[in-house]
Amino acid sequence: MTRTIALGALLVSTLLIAAAYVGALVAAVVPPWAPWALMIGTSTIMLATMVLGASRAGGGIGRLAVPFVVMFGVLLVGFGAALVMPVETVNAPLWLGLPRRAAVILYGVGVLPLFVLPIAYAVTFESLTLNEADLERVRQMKAKRGVS
Amino acid sequence: MIQTTALPPLAQPIISAVAVGYFVVVAAIGIWATRKTRTASDFFVAGQGIGLWALAIASMAATLSGFAFIGGPGLVYSVGIGAVFIILPVSLTNAMGAWVLAKRMRLLAEVRDMITVPDAIGARYRSPLAQGLAAVAILIAVVGYMATNVLALGLVIDAIFGVGLTWGIWIGTLITLAYSVSGGILAGVYTDVFQGSLMALASVLVFVYVLEAGSGLSGISRTILGADPGFLGPWGKLTPLAALSFFFVFGLGSLGQPHVVHKFYMLKDPRRLKWYPLIMTVALFVTLLLYVGVGLAVKSLVVSGTMPALGRPDDATPTFLLRFTPLLLAALVFSGVAAAIMSTVNSFMSIGAAALTHDLPVALGRRVGNELRWGRISTIVISVVAALVAQASGTLVAFLGIFGWGLFASTLVPALAIGLNWQGATRAGAIASIATGIVVTLVFETLAYLKVYAFPAGVTVSGLSLVASMLVFLVVSMLTRESEGAAIDADIRLVMEV
Repeated sequence: MTRTIALGALLVSTLLIAAAYVGALVAAVVPPWAPWALMIGTSTIMLATMVLGASRAGGGIGRLAVPFVVMFGVLLVGFGAALVMPVETVNAPLWLGLPRRAAVILYGVGVLPLFVLPIAYAVTFESLTLNEADLERVRQMKAKRGVS
Repeated sequence: MIQTTALPPLAQPIISAVAVGYFVVVAAIGIWATRKTRTASDFFVAGQGIGLWALAIASMAATLSGFAFIGGPGLVYSVGIGAVFIILPVSLTNAMGAWVLAKRMRLLAEVRDMITVPDAIGARYRSPLAQGLAAVAILIAVVGYMATNVLALGLVIDAIFGVGLTWGIWIGTLITLAYSVSGGILAGVYTDVFQGSLMALASVLVFVYVLEAGSGLSGISRTILGADPGFLGPWGKLTPLAALSFFFVFGLGSLGQPHVVHKFYMLKDPRRLKWYPLIMTVALFVTLLLYVGVGLAVKSLVVSGTMPALGRPDDATPTFLLRFTPLLLAALVFSGVAAAIMSTVNSFMSIGAAALTHDLPVALGRRVGNELRWGRISTIVISVVAALVAQASGTLVAFLGIFGWGLFASTLVPALAIGLNWQGATRAGAIASIATGIVVTLVFETLAYLKVYAFPAGVTVSGLSLVASMLVFLVVSMLTRESEGAAIDADIRLVMEV
């Protein structure tokens, strides 16, 4: 079920990205909806691909659902904020040394996932990615192929 | 994206001496690796015997070319924050690569004797044609990528030693070739570890000087905002579509870079993958501080009148280093630039030679007798061709260099990354998507290069070809699923289910 949903999301997000490109190609001026379509499509395709890779046959993604939902939110909110927040001025306030929209992009999209996804991968590695029993099944399969 | 224009002269005794010392270390690693390389498996996948840190740092070094040190900061100086979208996905891509590919690639090497990325495609779809097509795409992209990187290496060596571009190209090629031919990927991996460490150290040190020269990040921002607020907007001087397109192509496309993906085969113990994304992400993040920092600092220094405006954006890093950092650190960075390029070239040599001596013969139903010997010969042939192309024509090199990333991404992401995680993917879908990636990339890049058609800002051929091949892969697989049935071998199916 998880993989089916991920595949559906993959297809829809690919179509969204294609629509953004086609919209830009056929119109004289890039339509205002095209960056939104590309932003939503890109965020979705990245997360859908991760879910597809993390899910196991017959199972879901377990505790990984939380970091994946958080990251999806970070991407959508980060890019969305960059699209809608007011343009920088000379005296614009700074967040951690950068104008607000740049800070949202660099610290939010660029740095925050660094503290979430690799940690989530490590913490769930034995339970959701690879453990001794999985390796044993693979090695038994290799031995079986070698015999046959 | 890599260096195609000359750098300012850097021929000073300290810089030249550090560079010579660097080449001596690389040669020593090459000699050590040569003694350990006895089989084709040693030559192409390091005998599946490397550790976690070596895998992560070598992958980081192979990912970054000289662009991260020269072209990237120059692009930030030119277009502002928008240039960061090329490297922005790094915080996501390594974990994504680990979930999607690392475990499955490593387990494939556990059940079968895999040595190349097309091997995995051939095994997944039971299709020599899919394997051969993937190899053709890799070969085309490798020669282009190598030519551009060899040219960049020639420019760096010329700038450091003042030997002229032609000698720079051939000296750089011969040094890389020497350790690659003799020690294969084993030499490549351990020189990458040395080179990657050098790159990370240099980047962190330079970032400290960036903050000092610009009076901190707030000082840099305030100075730039006073003159050009749009530069520090989230898209910089780019359109939102162009910046987001970078994020898409360099984010999802990272799953299709064979010189990085291929290294998963080499890990000794698959259980060590647990910490791979964290080490790789932190290493890349640290190494890319220079990319962002130097570009912003130089813009700030130019705006404040401390530095004259640059003649060319690519002068940003050399000019900053020579004016604001100790000469020894500048020397370390220039060696780091050469290191970044050489590590990338070495990886391309390896996967190109494997495509030529292993994948194409397999696709044609043949096997090369002595893959180790022919691997070495192919490495020389590919390198000489790339060096000749680099020497022959600057515009040709620029053209070839453009489509490497996009060609890898559009031909390998659907068939390999999605295909290894979706049992419903079919052989027809894989073949159609790889063919689509090759045709769309080559046709549209050629049209754009010949100025027959100009794409609107934000629409890139890399993005178009990746989307097209993804759609073709998904749709054709869905349409042919019934007719192909369960065409997956039991061992491959197990790897996909675990």
